Amino acid sequence: MELMNSENIVQDRQPAQPQEEEEIMQQEEEEEEQRFHVLAVDDSVIDRKLLEKLLKASSYQVTCVESGEKALEYLGLLHHSSPASSSSQHHHQGHKVNLIMTDFSMPGTSGYDLLKRIKGSSWKDVPVVVMSSENVPSRISMCLEGGAEEFMLKPLQLSDLHKIQAHLLKSLPHS
Amino acid sequence: MDLVQLQRQFGFLDEQFTQLQELQDENNPDFVVEVVSLFFEDSERLLNELARALEQQNIDYKRIDAHVHQLKGSSSSIGAQRVQKVCVAFRNYCEEQNVEGCLKCLQQVRHEYSLVKTKLESLFQLEQQILTAGGSIPME
Repeated sequence: MELMNSENIVQDRQPAQPQEEEEIMQQEEEEEEQRFHVLAVDDSVIDRKLLEKLLKASSYQVTCVESGEKALEYLGLLHHSSPASSSSQHHHQGHKVNLIMTDFSMPGTSGYDLLKRIKGSSWKDVPVVVMSSENVPSRISMCLEGGAEEFMLKPLQLSDLHKIQAHLLKSLPHS
Repeated sequence: MDLVQLQRQFGFLDEQFTQLQELQDENNPDFVVEVVSLFFEDSERLLNELARALEQQNIDYKRIDAHVHQLKGSSSSIGAQRVQKVCVAFRNYCEEQNVEGCLKCLQQVRHEYSLVKTKLESLFQLEQQILTAGGSIPME
């Protein structure tokens, strides 16, 4: 009886020299940066427009949705079934989602509800930023404890986008 | 002293409005007008809803509060400070379920809204005049 020889198993490619690998990573990072995609969730048409402009002004790709339900639908989480394979993780119709920004107070599925759903799904590694026009300490800690990366006060300004960038860079895939 | 600085002096528009102007560029030359137009549409809808809600036999304070919250948010987003301030008082009366207070606030918010609307409209008209005359609007 012939046993499978371990040498028949295909080896992983040889790791590149440290310098090359760094250059490759840098190139990928640059390309990635050009394609950062943010999913923005807000029931206010004005705030959606503002957020879209702020994000586009910082060269991010944006998709705006008007409710928590629409966000869940976009992420494929609406019918309580998780995506079939792990390769679809972070992807929707070919678009990846690098960051989710959501308003806290929304009718129906609130920003907090959305946060919990995301953190309990295959999208859990995508950073979520919660926004609110109200500075309520208990609300802030609840969101942070619920897994939000950041809690931001509205109205957002261009300077707030710098914080966003840090979270987006964190979300880059590790090799 | 430009018109926006004047508005800010009287508290009609706060620094958030300046943020909007800073976001406007060649790719989106009508950004401010677009956002402000959305604000006008949205506010008028909300003010009508509020009037209707306060006319009811059994006033739904939760619903009113939700509308005022929206108005507070949108006025804050464009920098309409005085409208926002009235909304804060309005929400307090909602919590107290004080119909008199609510009606008074509705009147006040309508007034502040029409004031800021007039200011913004004249600001845009003035900008348009300058542009038509071949000049340019200095951006700070």
